[in-house]
Amino acid sequence: MIKKIKLLAATAILLFTCAALPATAQEVDVIKFKELEKLRQLPHDTLYVVNFWATWCKPCIQEMPYFEAVTKQYKDQPVRVILVSMDAVEDLEKRVKPFVQKRSLKSRLLLLDETDANTWIDKLEPRWSGAIPATLLFNNHRKQYFFAEKELKEEELQALINKYKPVKK
Amino acid sequence: MKKVNLSFLYLACLLLAGVLVSAVPAEDGYQVGDKARDFKLKNIDGKMLSMSDFKDVKGIIVTFTCNSCPYAVGYEDRLIELHNKYAPQGYPVVAINPNDKTKSPADSFDKMQERAKDKKFPFPYLYDETQEITKTYGATRTPQLYVVQKQKDGSFKVAYIGAIDDNSRDASKVEKKYAEAALDELVKGKPVTQNSTKAIGCTIKWREA
Repeated sequence: MIKKIKLLAATAILLFTCAALPATAQEVDVIKFKELEKLRQLPHDTLYVVNFWATWCKPCIQEMPYFEAVTKQYKDQPVRVILVSMDAVEDLEKRVKPFVQKRSLKSRLLLLDETDANTWIDKLEPRWSGAIPATLLFNNHRKQYFFAEKELKEEELQALINKYKPVKK
Repeated sequence: MKKVNLSFLYLACLLLAGVLVSAVPAEDGYQVGDKARDFKLKNIDGKMLSMSDFKDVKGIIVTFTCNSCPYAVGYEDRLIELHNKYAPQGYPVVAINPNDKTKSPADSFDKMQERAKDKKFPFPYLYDETQEITKTYGATRTPQLYVVQKQKDGSFKVAYIGAIDDNSRDASKVEKKYAEAALDELVKGKPVTQNSTKAIGCTIKWREA
């Protein structure tokens, strides 16, 4: 009987704790380049905004709130922000997940587990030298594509989204 | 059809062009085969250094690197090894910090001196304060290597642009030593098979215009 009460109490405490926690952040899915390529080929009439970043990249972290703002602003529209971390997969638990939790990021999160960028960068975008931040925008349904290898300012990102977001006629 | 205000259209086009132009990375930097201009940059010992000061070399491993980028820092030991292996074969390393100290205070001249002392850099570590050389080379990230080969007339020609190897995270897991492969061919007087490679790195911290 006492055991049961203890268990109930424990469950109650756990439930309260869970409720008190801030809104949970997104999961981070570890992918290989093949999966990134598939993502790049998605045929939907959706604007995909793919941003390459890393926890150690200052300008990436600087521009991250602008991408998060887009996620919130367009959550009911076909605009999807995907943040692709270039952190080493060994740093997933120690650095990436805590970072994501701390900022309670809401955009879709991937970690590209590829060590040799020379094998894949040119397949994705030959103009990309490998510096981050870098951002791709595309809507394959409308054959639209944009690439930038630099830190975007908030108004630049907003202008790009406005230009490319799918508008039903 | 509605009449469109032309001046508004022009303005819209101009704005759009501005966004597009600013987003395209500089593509007018050096390609393999281009002649590399000489520079005169301040070394951590306070003296100015030029490529022409290197009299008895076959070439130079010009490396854009810095203190503040974890990728660049992760490659410091490998850069030292590269210098120790290839300087005796005629290809010393010359490191250049391309970052603006206002945007990246960890890359100031004082901090460069500190870092070089701590790591006992066996090679010069120069500061491209005006970022002119970095722009001319077309460097975009740290670390980034430009192996230049000395020509008969004393000028230098770009022979390799790119990464040191295929694993920035873990030197013990490296499978392809891109820079060494290129340097081995150069030392033997052979053409470089893979003369350009890419790697993830930190964007260069450009001075605000």
